[in-house]
Amino acid sequence: MMHQPDSRQQAKKPRPKNLNLFTIRMPVNALVSILHRVSGVVLFLILPVLLLLLQLSLSSAAGFAIVQNLLNSVVIKLLMLGLAWAFFHHFFAGIRHLAMDVHWATTLIKARFTSKVVLVLGGLATALLAVSWIL
Amino acid sequence: MILSLLTKRYPGMRAWLTQRLSGLLLAIYSVLFLSRILVLSPTSYAAWLSFNQPWWWRIATWLFWLSLSVHAWLGVRDVLKDYVPNFSLRMVLLKVVLIMIWLYLAWITLLLCAI
Repeated sequence: MMHQPDSRQQAKKPRPKNLNLFTIRMPVNALVSILHRVSGVVLFLILPVLLLLLQLSLSSAAGFAIVQNLLNSVVIKLLMLGLAWAFFHHFFAGIRHLAMDVHWATTLIKARFTSKVVLVLGGLATALLAVSWIL
Repeated sequence: MILSLLTKRYPGMRAWLTQRLSGLLLAIYSVLFLSRILVLSPTSYAAWLSFNQPWWWRIATWLFWLSLSVHAWLGVRDVLKDYVPNFSLRMVLLKVVLIMIWLYLAWITLLLCAI
């Protein structure tokens, strides 16, 4: 009788699991994926600040002026650019997910290409915003 | 059909579909928001008020935050599941996140009513 490996015994062995991002090789689609997560968490964490700014800006003309002055400072503008990038990346990467859910661009070559498109569009939109602030 | 995925029999599929539908709504509102900002360019307090005041825009904004609440909950929940292996710590964090999301929703509701 041939020896068969017992599948139940195999299942008892701890499965390999590696979530340490620093030891994982990062192809471009993995990079887009983890940045999608990071940007999502950043956007979630900044929500109370955005709500506070919205409340202040709508409270009175004086409140609106405070928000306007805040947004005119260079440091805040740089922070807002970072946030804008998080938003744009999350937006474009999300649209890429939706496209793949309807089976569009699911082959590896196409997925790599759309990953690069997402990275470029996120950077481009952020750069556009930066330029519009300078001009 | 696709709506049967929303029943409690398939909680994973339900979360997956909810994440997509809410994401789609968030994307649509975002495009509308940016378009209105570009067209109306509300740089004064009066203009900013009239940007936010239309009843349909306030309803849209409220629906945006409702979608955002669901979307953020599912997203943060998945991230915490992956990166916080300690069960009790994860439960505490999940509860904190849930409370934050409910508070934000209450906050924006009051804000939109007061405009």
